[in-house]
Amino acid sequence: MQPPLPETPRFPFRRECPFDPPSLYARARAAGPLFAVTLWNGRRAWLVTRHEEIRAVLTDDRRFSGAMAHPDFPTVTEARVTVDRNERAFVGMDNPAHDHYRRMFTREFSVRRMLALEPRIAAIAESVIDELAAHGPPADLAGTLAVKFPSLVMSELVGSPYEDHRFIIDCAVGRHGLTQTPAEAHDKARALAGYFRRLIDAREANPGDDLVSRIIESHVKPGTLSRDDFAEIGAMILRAGHDTTTNMIGMGTLLVLRDERLRRRLEGNPASVDAAVEELLRFVTPVQFSPRRVALEDVEIGGVTVRKGEGLFLLLASANRDERVFDDPDRLDFGRDASDHLTFGYGIHQCLGQTLARYELQAIYPALLRRLQGLRLAVPLEEIRFKDDMQIYGVHNLPVAW
Amino acid sequence: MRVHVDQRKCVGSGQCARTVPAVFDQRDEDGIVVLRAPQPDAALEPAVRQAARHCPSQAIRIEEP
Repeated sequence: MQPPLPETPRFPFRRECPFDPPSLYARARAAGPLFAVTLWNGRRAWLVTRHEEIRAVLTDDRRFSGAMAHPDFPTVTEARVTVDRNERAFVGMDNPAHDHYRRMFTREFSVRRMLALEPRIAAIAESVIDELAAHGPPADLAGTLAVKFPSLVMSELVGSPYEDHRFIIDCAVGRHGLTQTPAEAHDKARALAGYFRRLIDAREANPGDDLVSRIIESHVKPGTLSRDDFAEIGAMILRAGHDTTTNMIGMGTLLVLRDERLRRRLEGNPASVDAAVEELLRFVTPVQFSPRRVALEDVEIGGVTVRKGEGLFLLLASANRDERVFDDPDRLDFGRDASDHLTFGYGIHQCLGQTLARYELQAIYPALLRRLQGLRLAVPLEEIRFKDDMQIYGVHNLPVAW
Repeated sequence: MRVHVDQRKCVGSGQCARTVPAVFDQRDEDGIVVLRAPQPDAALEPAVRQAARHCPSQAIRIEEP
């Protein structure tokens, strides 16, 4: 017998097992699609726990707003309120403004563009592994390759100097930790936008074959996009392109190293690598507390009424473990078709960089296993520090040997 | 099977073009969906259904006979 569900518990919850979402997600999901929780500020919010209802809310732009500046927009920390109120990129906008800005950037992440980038991604993967091999075991994969690989790819795509990547990551992490003060989070968010604003000036004076230079030509010079608006969007792209992939590399590698059968799948043909990456995306779900919405009117979902002005967290990690969609969902199984996962979100805000992320992961996992024969964890699992203090989940350290 | 796309709804995620490139493409200038084959080969139908299911802005509609 399960104990009864707690009444409006404080959210977020702690994980009992580092590889699974908090067990309360599954219990809430069994009871219904919505679960009421209390936030840091004492306000009530709703967790949406099932795949179907999460998709329904994320495609109902008429009754649910994703405007982060909305006074009732729900957050997991006080610091995040300040960050949200100052978010000026399209990630925090409703339509029609969202589509207006997003469409200026979609071609930079189109499948064709990413396919063209694939040989470079593969070459960068080899180069970061060369460096690790030259360093020799043991090495902390989380602090080295998992950071450096996406940073180098982003640097090449965007046109930001690689030596700035520590600063970029520091800003991204400082903005979406769970422990910052509002002032700290705000300063980090502003610092990254300021950095991108200077990058725009630098590329305007000295253009290259990169995203910043192309957007200057196609939208800034013709006057359809201001330099300040571009800086906000650029900061969002930099943040999103570093931290999420880094955490997928760390967690994904850890999971694969724990299971010989999984490792063999990643050494197989491209189709089996593609399926394995989708399953790792499903199983890990690094984004924990987004997307979020606020109800614009009273809405009934599964017999429960969400009141106008109440916030909702669309729990992607719960959707990805929904028994209605995935058989035996808590099993990491590279043989399954995991493509219905919602790791990149759903609706108009679905991840712009998802094809890039997929190609990065499809390149790096197999290359790691092929090049570093006998790759293994160099410490007991107890010594791995998991990111329970972050909004993007992963590992802080991953000491490996080979 | 007959496929329809709504370019006004499309947000350019590119998932259809990745899943069934024979049927879906993206416009060069803004990544918005372009339909290459409104009546795809029967062999492609399951993949087209998957692309429609995965489209984040529900811009793909399928008419089944």
